[in-house]
Amino acid sequence: MIGPNSKVPAAVALAASVLGLIFASYSTMDYAQHLDRRLHDVHCSFIPGAPPTSEAEACRAAMYSPYSALFKDSLWGGVPISLFALGAFTFFAGFALYLLLSGPRAPRDNVTLFGWVSLTPLAASITMFTISLMKLGQLCQTCVGIYISSFLLAAGGIGMLLGGTEGRPRGNSLLALGWLVALGVVTLVPAAVYASSVPDQRPYLTQCGELKQPKMKAGEPVKVRGTQAVKQVLFFEDPLCPTCKAFHERLVTEGVFERLDTDLVLFPLDSECNWMLDRPLHPGACIVSKAVLCGGAQARQVLDWAYAEQTYLSRAGKAGADVMRAAIKQRWGAELLACVDDRKTDVRLNQHLHFASDNSIPVSTPQVYFGNKRICDEDTDIGLRFTLKQLAPEVLP
Amino acid sequence: MTSRAADAYSAHEPPPPPGGSSKAGLIGGAFGAGLLVVVTLAVAGWVSAAGKRLVTPEAEKPKVAVADHAEVGYCTPRFKEVLERVLHSCGLSEGDARRGCKPADVKTFASISDEDFNELFTPLKDRGAVIMFAEGMDELDDKAKKLLEEKWFARKGARYFFVVARASKTGTQSKNRALSHRRANSVMYHLQSVANDPEIDKKVGLLWLGNEFAQLSKDYCTWPNSGDAKCDEEAINRSAFVSWVDCRL
Repeated sequence: MIGPNSKVPAAVALAASVLGLIFASYSTMDYAQHLDRRLHDVHCSFIPGAPPTSEAEACRAAMYSPYSALFKDSLWGGVPISLFALGAFTFFAGFALYLLLSGPRAPRDNVTLFGWVSLTPLAASITMFTISLMKLGQLCQTCVGIYISSFLLAAGGIGMLLGGTEGRPRGNSLLALGWLVALGVVTLVPAAVYASSVPDQRPYLTQCGELKQPKMKAGEPVKVRGTQAVKQVLFFEDPLCPTCKAFHERLVTEGVFERLDTDLVLFPLDSECNWMLDRPLHPGACIVSKAVLCGGAQARQVLDWAYAEQTYLSRAGKAGADVMRAAIKQRWGAELLACVDDRKTDVRLNQHLHFASDNSIPVSTPQVYFGNKRICDEDTDIGLRFTLKQLAPEVLP
Repeated sequence: MTSRAADAYSAHEPPPPPGGSSKAGLIGGAFGAGLLVVVTLAVAGWVSAAGKRLVTPEAEKPKVAVADHAEVGYCTPRFKEVLERVLHSCGLSEGDARRGCKPADVKTFASISDEDFNELFTPLKDRGAVIMFAEGMDELDDKAKKLLEEKWFARKGARYFFVVARASKTGTQSKNRALSHRRANSVMYHLQSVANDPEIDKKVGLLWLGNEFAQLSKDYCTWPNSGDAKCDEEAINRSAFVSWVDCRL
């Protein structure tokens, strides 16, 4: 049982604040690094001090998601939420140290205030945890570090509340109010500094090349028209490419996809049909691409299926063409599979690939073109909303 | 300090002297303020560093492959030189004017001996095929059409399709030239009918040879072909060699 004069809750709260500060620092540093528009390794470990890594899909997915930052429309990348965590944990570290040092001399108003406000990071963490599970379907380790810190901080705060305030001086209510104001200010300062100093990305938005031949000379792209389409766009995508899947999901989550009139050019990164690769990056992608081509009016559904079942289809692709063909037949029937096996479909896919080579596009997916202009890769992830706001504001809901 | 130890310590402590809380407040406040300064400077530093990198070109920019047509091992400089001369000098259309390559032109443009010319096509043995014609005829039979389509639709990353028509090793030069020309055209017309490609003229390099240049030896009978009769030196030259060429120019 924790006594009213126990220093343990304050010590736990202080340790939790420092831990939270470390994880929030990693998260913020990773985010800020990407302001240079380059690709960087990111911290993605439960262990404080672990080096950044390129194997950080969950943390990268969280970073690129619409939930990682505020004001993404007006600032490139927005203001990362980790900045608020950084400020809040700074405040709680100072407050917890004060409570730890003052022990039983700490006024009851301050102890009570700390107990209650220490729950706010936990509330934010629960919200973000739920979003991660429900919307992203995965948990980023650095974020989990912040969630754990928030939980420990709240545990410390609750410990203080449960310990009671008997024997403590009453304190000054105005001073307690001052702590509350300080919490608000300290929480906002890092975000304000960040927002006021981010570099202007507008000059770089249209500097990633353009199509030499915007129209396919032979064959047609796959037409995927959103229900509220207001803007023509051209995508090069590979249905078995995880980045394409993540990008597609971002567009859907942001409510943008339905406002696009999409010309989809299939660019499978599979050497079975794509001569630009010396080995298959995504085995089976040629067959799945042909399934999308054969989808006709259902092309969107086939594409959505390919993204939704990407893990399973990638395994099927590695197992061999027959396994992949069986998966397609099971979901879409023998008629679509017959189309996949038809020589004409090979020709159609080949026309898509030649469209890519005619335009000398980079061998990577996804790629987005508004008119002739290519949208830079970094503007399709962290900077997506800002870029859309600048180049095609009508597609933002 | 464990929870139990902390509780025991606090239970036996004398009542706190007044003013201790203020000192702790100062230390806590100073610690918090110091942390805030550090955090703020760190954030400003990270953003500033990124801003500097943004305007500084990368010393070693990661190389990104660019989509292009296929380029395989047999695309030697010599092969490409001849290919380019033949394609651009006589095979492909420019604007609305389609041009063909007359036997005399080939010799001039290719600047190459008969043997060397034929040798260039050796690497295309499996990629291409020999479309055979009946004696004195220029129509494609069903087997020829099937083989031609099979080769045409196996384009992959190739940019150019070569058609080298021949007539006969015997007979007059003018008759052979005319027949060879008609055979080349038969191949082209059939491709046009099945390809549904508005730019086919820019892909197909069309040559027709009489009997004065680059006649095939009997060895070419082992190449994939559409003939079912006995193959000999006379028969193999009643043909059109067709192949995609996986070279960039």
